[in-house]
Amino acid sequence: MMQNSKNYPKFAVVGHPNKGKSSIVSSLALDDSVQIGDTPGTTQVKRGFPLKVDGKIIYELFDTPGFQRARRVLGWLEEQESVPADRRADLLKIFIAKHRDDPRFRDEIELLEPIMEGAGIIYVVDASKPYGAEYEIEMEILRRTGQPSMAILNLIGNEDYTEQWKRALGHYFRLVRTFNPIEATFNNHMDLLESMAQLKEEWTQPIKVAIDVLNGLHQQKIDQSVDTIVESMQKSLTFVYSKDIKGESATKKEKSSSQTAYQQQIVNYEKEREKNIEQIWNHRSIDKVENALVLDDVGLFSKESASIFGLSQKALMITGASAGAIGGLGIDLALGGGTFFLGSIIGGTVGGIGAMLGFNNLYEVKVMGKNIGHRQLTIGPMQNINFPYILLGRALFHASVIAKRSHALRNSVVLENEASYTEQLIDSEMRKKLEKLHLKLRNKDKCNEEIIEEYRKVILESFSNLLK
Amino acid sequence: MQTKNTQLSIKSYLDLSQLLEEYKGNHEENRTFALQHEAFKNDPLTLLYLWLNKNRFRVTSHLKSETFLTHFLTISTVLAFIFLLVGFLTGIGLLSYSGHEPVNIIYYLLVAMVLPVVSLLLSTLSMISDGLLSRFFNLFFPLHWIEKFVEFLPFDNKIELSEIKLSSSLTKWMFLHRIQLFSLLFSFGLLMALILMVMAKDIAFGWSTTLQISDESFQTLLASIGFTWQSLMPNAIPSLELVEISHYFRLGERLDNEMIHNANKLGAWWQFLAMTTLVYAIFLRFIVWIFSRYGYQRQLNRDFLALKGAQRLIKEFTTPYVSTKSPKIEKHLEIIPETEEQITETPHQGYPHIIGWNYSSSEMQLANDSKSIEGLSVETVGGRHSFREDEQIANSIDGTVLLYVKSWEPPTMDFVDFLEMLIDNDEIDEIQLYPLGTVGRYYESDAKDIAVWKRKIQALKVERVWVVDDAEQ
Repeated sequence: MMQNSKNYPKFAVVGHPNKGKSSIVSSLALDDSVQIGDTPGTTQVKRGFPLKVDGKIIYELFDTPGFQRARRVLGWLEEQESVPADRRADLLKIFIAKHRDDPRFRDEIELLEPIMEGAGIIYVVDASKPYGAEYEIEMEILRRTGQPSMAILNLIGNEDYTEQWKRALGHYFRLVRTFNPIEATFNNHMDLLESMAQLKEEWTQPIKVAIDVLNGLHQQKIDQSVDTIVESMQKSLTFVYSKDIKGESATKKEKSSSQTAYQQQIVNYEKEREKNIEQIWNHRSIDKVENALVLDDVGLFSKESASIFGLSQKALMITGASAGAIGGLGIDLALGGGTFFLGSIIGGTVGGIGAMLGFNNLYEVKVMGKNIGHRQLTIGPMQNINFPYILLGRALFHASVIAKRSHALRNSVVLENEASYTEQLIDSEMRKKLEKLHLKLRNKDKCNEEIIEEYRKVILESFSNLLK
Repeated sequence: MQTKNTQLSIKSYLDLSQLLEEYKGNHEENRTFALQHEAFKNDPLTLLYLWLNKNRFRVTSHLKSETFLTHFLTISTVLAFIFLLVGFLTGIGLLSYSGHEPVNIIYYLLVAMVLPVVSLLLSTLSMISDGLLSRFFNLFFPLHWIEKFVEFLPFDNKIELSEIKLSSSLTKWMFLHRIQLFSLLFSFGLLMALILMVMAKDIAFGWSTTLQISDESFQTLLASIGFTWQSLMPNAIPSLELVEISHYFRLGERLDNEMIHNANKLGAWWQFLAMTTLVYAIFLRFIVWIFSRYGYQRQLNRDFLALKGAQRLIKEFTTPYVSTKSPKIEKHLEIIPETEEQITETPHQGYPHIIGWNYSSSEMQLANDSKSIEGLSVETVGGRHSFREDEQIANSIDGTVLLYVKSWEPPTMDFVDFLEMLIDNDEIDEIQLYPLGTVGRYYESDAKDIAVWKRKIQALKVERVWVVDDAEQ
């Protein structure tokens, strides 16, 4: 891929140790590999995070170690002969050159180097803790670099000293913004980028490009997630496990082992989908706490699963009946109402009864002749009407949690409180649309590109709503 | 260098299908690949083909296409030979001449012209139709039933073949393509038999039918059959005289005298029969074979693009790759857990010296009052103080020292430098480091903040330095 000149905007995220610099970089760079910790000095060397499009860098963020011996640096600068303002930055360059091999100033050199190479300054403070005069030393050093700068108020704790900080920071920084990397939404992220663009006139256009690129990337991730969910649903709904058997009919053992293999494959499809979704959203190293997918009589028919993602038998009958009635209504309208809405009544009844019967079905177990001298045991596809709702509900819930998760978070993802999401995930309108589509998706022969596209649209709409 | 309009084959289709099940690459690699082949950016088929060639080696299992093609080619070769042989034997049978009765050209015309025309018509209908209707037309071909029979045979490679999923449209075009080829071979067999029989035997051709057809009408019919070659080869159109002398009836055991008299002329029919075979059974079949080949290739191209995973790949070829990652891998920092060594829960009530790191004098006063701690001397260090001022204080004190620090601010090296100056002062018996919380929380600290201080102090391994930990657990 192409490489470009170094004239792109650069930003060094600097500050006191443990004020959330790495969290901010991790969140802005959408990268959960950045080490974040309570221990000062977690970041030991500067690390660049370029935003690249086909290898071309649009801008670059630098995560840096915190100030360790700021007083000594300022002391050294003040000891030098006084120089006019236009040459003050040169003193810092001399400081870097002189102390490059001095281990005492390793951190200061790591953080000052990108700034002296033209990076804008993003000074991070924790506004949940009171302001202290010791910060003025750091701010004074940064002022002497002569580079455009802004401050970010990061509220790490519960207290709020924002106003106190704003009064102090206003003396040193042109822009002061509040940004919480743990809770920041995608839009907050874009707002912060717009603020960064204001630091220097030449940076406005590249940052505008970056915002467009990131918006496109966000949409791309949404599309990829929806494709992944649709593909996984298709696989799970149509999966048929088959095994050659020796006798005329399958033994109990053969049936039992095949059922286990069938259920295991469905669970594997779910795991594979979750892994893919996490990769799409750049969450590569997360721990999850979640309820297992249970595919036996208990799992699919339990009150718990029905109330969370699946539907109760009554709800299924209503959904089936209304879907059937809509189909029947189409016939009534096509015949100019001459049927006295008989189509709707029949359609509704058939749909309702079908749903009632389907609730108690699991999957078909068949033994059939394959060719001369061979018999085969097949299990699937899953007939249970609740199954696609449970599967889809879990998929949407997982995907929305992952998509909204900040890359600065390092705790486990909790996927157990699905119940609070039920109504948001699959509302009654969506259920009606899904009822028909699930039936078609199950049938491999009848399922075509149009049905998949229609299904994709329903999932996309639901997923986009969840991300709002 | 690969040229544009790459002709994809069933092998590349099957290989790509298998490769995509095992390997899809990632966006970065696929986009890089597409940028390296920018000349084909508007030709996804060629890009897919090139991508397949580059990555085919990644298929770890046995290539299914090889099994399929071996099976397919074996069956096809056997069938091709059978069709050729059957065509030849049919020709021999139709042209067998005992000398008692002439060879009725009508039988030959039925096989060399009517049968191919009907078959071509069915092929064309199958080509232009889809789904069930198309399958219905295919039922009329013997090949369809032969293949069904072959499928039912228990071959060893059966299981592997069943894993190969081809779309119904592609299967249709493969079938149509093959039926044209086999029919062509059948017709070649027929033509070969005709030429061989004409060369090796003296055949008297004639025509005979139960229908009331006059010689003139029959000649007109024959002329219209041969209208395509009439101008080029007029001798290959039977004349009225030939039609008249060739007309015979089976009633009676002996042949017409006139027919016997003109026996030397009756062989002239062969040119017409040869041309009929060439034009209707071979040339027209060849044209339809070309069409079927085009249709097959078009369907293969479509299916190539519709392969599971192919669209995703094309999307990755065309979508710019956005990266936000750092090229530098961060060294993992080992965190040593704190212990309970050098920890005290309560400070003393009074100290000879109390020092505040990064505190102002008024803040120190407030903290002492709040904690009910008294000090003979109270000093402030760090903050806006110079390093030299701190050094003077560190060297001028003795006894037990209480050192206030802001618990939420982690220990910087600037602080460690000051602490080391205190440690270096032998007059100091003990240093008690007291991390305080914010005034808003009445100086109460978070346990995790104090843990940071504890770890730092324990790492120094100096027995004279203690941490006051009064945080609620």
